[in-house]
Amino acid sequence: MLYFDHSATTPIHPDVQSLVNELNQNIYGNPSSIHAAGRKAKHVVETARKQIATVINCAPKEIIFTGGGSEANNQVLWNMIYRNRKHVITSSIEHPAILAVLRQLEHLSITHTIVPVNKYGCVNPEDIDSAIRDDTGLITIMLANNEVGTVEPLQDIAKVAKKHDVLFHSDGVQVLGKLPIDVQELGVDMMSFSAHKFYGPKGIGALYVKEGIAVKPLIIGGSQEKSLRAGTENVGGIAGLGCAAEIVTKNLSDVGHALRALETQFKTKFSEQHPNIIYNGFEDNHLPGLINLTIPGIASDLLLIHLDNEDIAVSSGSACSAGTISPSPVLKAMGISDKQNLETIRISAGHDNTSPEVDQLVETMTRAIVNIRRNAR
Amino acid sequence: MSEKIVVGLSGGVDSSVAALLLQKQGYDVECIFMKNWEDDDSEICSSAEDYNDALDVCEILGLPLHSINFSHEYWDKVFSYFLAEYKAGRTPNPDVLCNREIKFKAFLDYALQLGISKIATGHYANVEETPSGFQLLKGTDRSKDQSYFLYMLSKKPLSKSAFPIGKIQKQEVRQLAKKAGLPIAEKKDSTGICFVGERNFRQFLERYLPEQPGDIISNEGKKVGTHDGLMYYTIGQRKGLGIGGGYGKSNSPWYVIEKIMDNNILIVCQGNDHPLLYSNIITASQLHWISGTAPDEGKQLAAKIRYRQKDKTCKIEPVNHDSAIIYFEEPVFAAAPGQSVVLYDGEICLGGGIIEPYVN
Repeated sequence: MLYFDHSATTPIHPDVQSLVNELNQNIYGNPSSIHAAGRKAKHVVETARKQIATVINCAPKEIIFTGGGSEANNQVLWNMIYRNRKHVITSSIEHPAILAVLRQLEHLSITHTIVPVNKYGCVNPEDIDSAIRDDTGLITIMLANNEVGTVEPLQDIAKVAKKHDVLFHSDGVQVLGKLPIDVQELGVDMMSFSAHKFYGPKGIGALYVKEGIAVKPLIIGGSQEKSLRAGTENVGGIAGLGCAAEIVTKNLSDVGHALRALETQFKTKFSEQHPNIIYNGFEDNHLPGLINLTIPGIASDLLLIHLDNEDIAVSSGSACSAGTISPSPVLKAMGISDKQNLETIRISAGHDNTSPEVDQLVETMTRAIVNIRRNAR
Repeated sequence: MSEKIVVGLSGGVDSSVAALLLQKQGYDVECIFMKNWEDDDSEICSSAEDYNDALDVCEILGLPLHSINFSHEYWDKVFSYFLAEYKAGRTPNPDVLCNREIKFKAFLDYALQLGISKIATGHYANVEETPSGFQLLKGTDRSKDQSYFLYMLSKKPLSKSAFPIGKIQKQEVRQLAKKAGLPIAEKKDSTGICFVGERNFRQFLERYLPEQPGDIISNEGKKVGTHDGLMYYTIGQRKGLGIGGGYGKSNSPWYVIEKIMDNNILIVCQGNDHPLLYSNIITASQLHWISGTAPDEGKQLAAKIRYRQKDKTCKIEPVNHDSAIIYFEEPVFAAAPGQSVVLYDGEICLGGGIIEPYVN
């Protein structure tokens, strides 16, 4: 299996896996219990909190563990029902865990404005500035896009937020382990994370909430996480998140270089054979290892079947739960036509990919494209 | 290396058993799940459950499953026609078009582009190679025969198609699924138009064609009620007319006999034996012959003017290469413009056309 779909999810790091296994076996206490077994579990949770806090440069008490990135986003947005200023500004390329929630919140008179992106998928901070209204209470813009990898100008947006005294949240799910994240430097008030995107376990995430910002729980009914997220803690998952965060940021610049090298290798070799390829998104300021490319005349779902049959995993468009592909709203928002949209695939390399694997990917894709062209009539 | 074949797997029992039988016959089977409809709410895929069933089947049989989205093609080639027909007050049959444009065209093209020259589906029909080319035959289980929906195919796609369950009974199909341990063995057959699914059809149509109320007038010229829009009614329809008591001579139910589009009037008559509901003659347009040539004029044939109807003896008289007049031996009930009339010579499905209003 050649796995080039790390933006969808990553394989769990072996060290994380063994830690999670060991904890699930031996640390079975409830962190809320005051006996030794409970205290041990509590210690595991707090260690993980310190780990993720250190990685993103915040205080441990500013971390809430959640059931994943989508839950973290939901918590931020549903908190709008408690806020006085009920207007939200977001962008057209956000994850459905932002956009669909905002549509739902309209029923509760929480309104939103969606600012556009340019053809690279980049938000213009000035657009946000002009979208600000008297009742704007939140700006939410992702740190980097999951489909094209474009990194958004968070620092400039943070300035806009500060100027108007508006809360600023960012979905950082795609970025941890690929680029450094410093929540102070970025100037965000809240940020969402998901462990399975950085070689941790699935079903566990975290929300950074800057000290002093009032939040209420989304999941209600227990005093866990200082009553901000009810439910007995997923101790193994939380430890996995902390451990993974630490591992993936240890040699971050080396990893970034390695991913960029794989990306360049792919682009160089692939473009040699297929000169009419279109790469979508920013050339420079994007997530390392993420390649979003359009191959004119080649339907992406067909190419995916060919690659799947050769045991290669890449992805395309926005996959629906029925396993099929629809035109991606992100590419649409970037002004890409539906036709081009459905001829677009995403390759996302990860820590475990190698240069020979990239060669094999280029070779297999080329063969598939030749076959598709030959069989088409 | 064994011959490759692509099965259109829907997650239902018929296509699953089709895949199972081909696998048993030694084919190298690949399955493809087709999604032809996007729901308005892009976050909800109504076909997700069917996809999960298809995944289950493939896991158990050890077959690869891919999925493709034909919703653009479906919208352009099938649904837009469907809406235009309804708007014009007719009653289209999207399934016949879906077969011609999607399953036996777009899907077949995909298979070919995958380098596989044969497709299979779970239709109850048979295909046979004869010296004069490939023929479409009725499914052996007459109560399930789906050749009606396949009459728009031509020899070429038929030559590349297989219907593995065409010769077996539905009951046996379910037994085979059960024996193979497929969890969908007892799954309910899908009913109605695929993209409407279990939803209320009228409500579905209202989203695209808003209400346009008008008068319901009896064949004797009396106003007997109000309709919501002619497109919501079909010739021969009895339910949902909302004609209260006090009208008419008897307590017999009312039936739709005509739609007058220009004046937005629905004409009804009382009693299902009313002569206005029956006709000996219909005209058909958009004629298509599977073999490429029309049958001999005056030859005794059989026709179905709706799915699962008993064959009706008839003769046809061509008007031109595109349309013909069909004379029935016995009058047929409620021939609805827009529906398909499919013609048979015994077992053989010859082709058919679209029912047009008959002008005397």
